[in-house]
Amino acid sequence: MDTFLSVTLDLLQGFWMTFKVFGLTLVFALPLGLIMSFLSMSKVKIVSAAMKTFIWIIRGTPLMLQLIVVFYGPGLIFKIDSLDRFPSVIVAFVINYACYFSEIYRGGIESIPKGQYEAGQVLGMTKSQIFFKVILLQVIKRIIPPMSNEIITLVKDTSLARIIAVYEIIWNAQSYIKSAGLIWPLFYTGAFYLIFCGLLTVFFRAMEKKLDYFRS
Amino acid sequence: MSVLEVKNIQKSFGKTEVLKNISFSLEKGEVLSIIGSSGSGKTTLLRCLNFLEFAEGGTISVNGEKIYDGSEKRSMKENEIRMKRLHFGLVFQDFNLFPQYNVLKNVMLAPTLLKLGTEEEIEAGARALIARVGLSDKTESYPCELSGGQKQRVAIARALALNPDILCFDEPTSALDPELTGEVLKVIKSLKNGDSTMIVVTHEMGFAKEVSDKVIFMADGIIEEEGTPEDVFGNPKSAKMRAFLSKSFENI
Ligand SMILES: Nc1ncnc2c1ncn2[C@@H]1O[C@H](COP(=O)(O)OP(=O)(O)O)[C@@H](O)[C@H]1O
Ligand SMILES: [Mg+2]
Repeated sequence: MDTFLSVTLDLLQGFWMTFKVFGLTLVFALPLGLIMSFLSMSKVKIVSAAMKTFIWIIRGTPLMLQLIVVFYGPGLIFKIDSLDRFPSVIVAFVINYACYFSEIYRGGIESIPKGQYEAGQVLGMTKSQIFFKVILLQVIKRIIPPMSNEIITLVKDTSLARIIAVYEIIWNAQSYIKSAGLIWPLFYTGAFYLIFCGLLTVFFRAMEKKLDYFRS
Repeated sequence: MSVLEVKNIQKSFGKTEVLKNISFSLEKGEVLSIIGSSGSGKTTLLRCLNFLEFAEGGTISVNGEKIYDGSEKRSMKENEIRMKRLHFGLVFQDFNLFPQYNVLKNVMLAPTLLKLGTEEEIEAGARALIARVGLSDKTESYPCELSGGQKQRVAIARALALNPDILCFDEPTSALDPELTGEVLKVIKSLKNGDSTMIVVTHEMGFAKEVSDKVIFMADGIIEEEGTPEDVFGNPKSAKMRAFLSKSFENI
C-alpha cells in the first residue's frame, strides 16, 4: 500500500507537468491560432502564402522533430544559448497547435455564409462589430467538435515532452521499471489520462448543449 | 426635391457589363418596383445602392446631397461608407437574420451598436416595429423557430429599426413557400401607408401592379421600360417587356 501511495504521489507530480504543458499550450495557441487564421485568409497574397507554407511545414512534420529542433537548434545552428527544457516544450507545442487551431478557425470562419457579413454591413456595423457580435459565436458553435478532438489529442501529445527530458507523467512511471522492476505504474498513468480526457469530453458536451438553442 | 436620384450607374464584373447607365429618381413616399428576368442586374443595382458593390461610374444623390460618385470611389473611407449606407436599408431574399439572437435582439442589435438611443428607447422602438410586422408573440423566439414568412417580417423590422430614407427589398418572397408570400407582401404594402420610400425587386406582378407608384423593367443591364404600373403593364412599348409579361403570366 505504501508503494501505491508513493507511486500515486509521484505520478501526480508528473501529471502536474503534463497539465502545465497542456494549459500553457492552450493559453497561447488558441489566440495565436486565430491571428494565424486571419493571416492565412489575408487578401495580401504574400502574407497568406507565407502563412500557408508555414502551416504546411508544421503540420507536415512530426511534433517530436519540432521539439528537438526548438531545443537543440538555436545552440547547434546559430551558436546562441538554447531555451531551457520547459520553455522549449511550450514554444514547440504552441507553434504546432496554433497551426492546427488556425486551420480549424479558418474552416469555421469560411463556412459562415457571406450574407451574415452583408446583413451586418447594411445595418451600419463596423467590421469588428460584425466579427465579434455576429460571426464569432456562430464560428465557435461550428468548431466545437473539431476543437475538442484536437484538444484531447493535445492531452496525450504532452507525453512527447520527455523527448527533451521534461519529466511528465509517463517519464515518472517508466522510471519504476528500472528502479523497482514495476510495470503497473506505467499502466496506472492511463487512468490519469482517461479521467482528464473524460472531464474534457463532459465540458465540450456541455458547451455544445449550451449553444444548441440556435441553428446556423 | 427627389429623395433618391441615381444617374448613369455603371457596373461590370470583369468583362461583363452588368449595369449600363442606369438612371432614375424617386420622390419621398413613393414605391418603385423593379421587374425583369433573372440575370438582368436587379440585385446588382440594389447592392450598388447599399454599397455592397461599388459602381464604376455614375452618381447617387439622397435628398439632394451627392453621396456617391463612381469616378472618385477610391477616396471613400470605411467609416464614410458605413455612414452613407445608413441612408438605405436592404431586405435580402434569404433573410440573413442573426441566428444566435432572438427576434427582439435581432431588431435591437444595430441600433444598440450604433448608440441610437438609450437601451429602453431602443427596446421600445424595436417592440413597436415587431408589432407593426405582426410578430409581438414571437419576440423571444429564435430565427430557427420561425417560418420563412415570419423570418422575412423580422428582417423587415430589423431594417426599419435604422429608419432608412430608402428601404430596398430584393425579391423578398422568392425564398418562401407560396402560401407564405401573402403575409410578407401585406407587411410591405402596409409600409406604404406610412411614408417609407421603397424599392422592391419582385416577381410578383400582381403586387407590383397594385402597390407601386413606378415600375422599372430591366433587361440586360438597362432600363428597358419605365412608367406608372398602368403604362408598363397595360400598354408595354418594348418587345422585350411584352415577351417578359406573357412569360410571367404563362407561369401562373
Ligand atoms: N459577384 C459577381 N461576380 C461576377 N458576376 C456577377 C456577380 N454578381 C452578379 N453577377 C452577374 O451579373 C449579372 C446580373 O446579376 P444579378 O444582378 O444578380 O441579376 P438579377 O438579380 O436581375 O437576377 C448576372 O449575369 C450575374 O451572373
Ligand atoms: Mg437577383
